[in-house]
Amino acid sequence: MKIMLNDTVHEFVGETLEDLLTQLGKTEQGIAIAINQQVVPKSLWRSTELNEQSQVFIFESIAGG
Amino acid sequence: MSSLFIAGHEFHSRLFTGTGKYASSDTMMDSLSASESELVTLSLRRMDLKNQTDNILQPLLQQGIKLLPNTSGARTAKEAVFAAELAREALETNWVKLEIHPDPRYLMPDGMETLLAAEELIKKGFVVMPYVHADPVLCKRLEEVGCQCVMPLGSPIGSNMGLASRPFLEIIIEQSRVPVIVDAGIGAPSDAALAMEIGADAVLVNTAMAVAKQPAQMGKAFRLAVEAGRMAYESGLGEKRVQANATSPLTDFIGALS
Repeated sequence: MKIMLNDTVHEFVGETLEDLLTQLGKTEQGIAIAINQQVVPKSLWRSTELNEQSQVFIFESIAGG
Repeated sequence: MSSLFIAGHEFHSRLFTGTGKYASSDTMMDSLSASESELVTLSLRRMDLKNQTDNILQPLLQQGIKLLPNTSGARTAKEAVFAAELAREALETNWVKLEIHPDPRYLMPDGMETLLAAEELIKKGFVVMPYVHADPVLCKRLEEVGCQCVMPLGSPIGSNMGLASRPFLEIIIEQSRVPVIVDAGIGAPSDAALAMEIGADAVLVNTAMAVAKQPAQMGKAFRLAVEAGRMAYESGLGEKRVQANATSPLTDFIGALS
């Protein structure tokens, strides 16, 4: 299935947000996710299913002042 | 030196630090350790899916340093609230340094949007630390809507120009019932010491430490300056005056020779 991930088309094999992070090789630490402009709490990543309408944005913490 | 309390959290150090512009995470950690800072700021951005980002989070967590995500990059109150909600999830804290600067050239904080965002974030349960111009009226408004401190700028971000806003900082400090943290523009330990001497509750330093030739030594220099400035403030500085005022008793012995 194709989803929009950080404004680019991404081929996703899986069902949930947690599957997406596994596919990307990312850990939970320091990460936030929004789908269709709504922040998804970490507690819901395992149960949140993605579909072809999902516009996913993943954010990470970086150095800053 | 007395402790600083913000939203019930006790800080033994009055030096807060940013994490940007360091050459490496090791250099950053060496500098932060030397500074003894107990609170550091972090930013959030869209994840780079192609490149691995240098992991600065783990060493900060291992050191037990409190994390303060900022909303840097937000141009409006709406964007800042969204950024704060993301940061709360990413870093598992309800503390946020509220930054809204629509113009990337000067990075001047937008006071009106900041006040709007602060009100909304406080309703959502955030501890809001707003970065603002050294505007005494705005700082009072932010205090009234429930901000746990105010963070007026000394001079433009990264400019190293020190306390260009000093007269206004002094009014803010005199009026404020919440901690005043001087943020931005502090370029030298003497700037930090001066901020503390005039009664600031803390300072936030980034560029001056990060771009120093020896960041760890500069971190220590800032720690000592902040401690010295605060100790001087708590000790009570003497008033400035134009006329001389002898520190030795004036005796008549010179007069006796004539």
